[in-house]
Amino acid sequence: MAAVPEPDEPAKRKGSCTSLRSYWKPFKLLGILDVENIPCARDSILYGSLGSVVAGFGHFLLTSRIRRSCDVGVGGFILVTLGCWFHCRYNYAKQKIQQRITRQGMKNKLLYEGTHLDPERKQNNGNSSN
Amino acid sequence: MAAPAQLGLQNAASPIMEELIAFHDHALMIIFLISSLVLYIISLMLTTKLTHTSTMNAQEIEMIWTILPAMILIMIALPSLRILYMTDEFNKPYLTLKAIGHQWYWSYEYSDYEDLAFDSYIMPTYFLEPGEFRLLEVDNRTTLPMEADIRVLISSQDVLHSWAVPSLGVKTDAIPGRLNQAMVASMRPGLYYGQCSEICGSNHSFMPIVLEFIYFQDFEVWASYLYI
Repeated sequence: MAAVPEPDEPAKRKGSCTSLRSYWKPFKLLGILDVENIPCARDSILYGSLGSVVAGFGHFLLTSRIRRSCDVGVGGFILVTLGCWFHCRYNYAKQKIQQRITRQGMKNKLLYEGTHLDPERKQNNGNSSN
Repeated sequence: MAAPAQLGLQNAASPIMEELIAFHDHALMIIFLISSLVLYIISLMLTTKLTHTSTMNAQEIEMIWTILPAMILIMIALPSLRILYMTDEFNKPYLTLKAIGHQWYWSYEYSDYEDLAFDSYIMPTYFLEPGEFRLLEVDNRTTLPMEADIRVLISSQDVLHSWAVPSLGVKTDAIPGRLNQAMVASMRPGLYYGQCSEICGSNHSFMPIVLEFIYFQDFEVWASYLYI
């Protein structure tokens, strides 16, 4: 339990998730890729690492060639990371579009419910005329 | 606005900025992979005992390191051009705002309303209220409606300035004798900060921009108050 600070002692900042976040330096791979905050980056790098180990180790078990297996491992890392990255970003973009459509639909429903612009009323009129 | 010691892009407040952040992530992942490959190749070169001093030609590797970079550049260029043309799309704007750069303040004119214009000076540090941001606050914020396309016409009265608001993904030069156009749209209400981005004299760092996006009804009330 923290002690009450003395009058001349500067008040220490209470740690909390939101307050500490702005003081943490984000972890960046090679100093450039912020894997914490970029969507899909962490998963892509982890799957890429797994693919690299599987490809490199598998090649070594088959051929017993160390340097070539390292080359295969690096190639596997690049290909698997890229593949996961594009797949994940594509799904992420689709999800964002869907969220935007849903948000707009909810807003329209709130605004126009009960009026002649109500989309559900237009839909029901269409069904009843059919 | 930026958090202390922030190096990355600010959170997006407009669809264009969202696209720019996605493109930035895409380019960064490609750069990261290329850097990893180059580091690996350097480590291979430093740890090999093999030498070959009589290489005459190497058609296969030449093909690879010509075609592969070309493909990478195409992968980067296509989304980049898409966003470039997206920023130039001109949807019918709801409102037109003129931002004129002066030494060393911005003045704003709402031409759609009669006599609605004001200057926006930096708030001096000794006038700041607790919680306000040093060198970023202004005396008169530029109030705009959210979820509306706003055309901003940017020019300058004297020297070159640049009107920039990072959260909205807009940075346009203010050139004397020329009108530059930018489209601005915010998806949510809030305060968005920017600063002059073209060297314009001794107080270049002290002419910030603050956009206040509010709901449409509140914007109409604000505009009507300024007539009084």
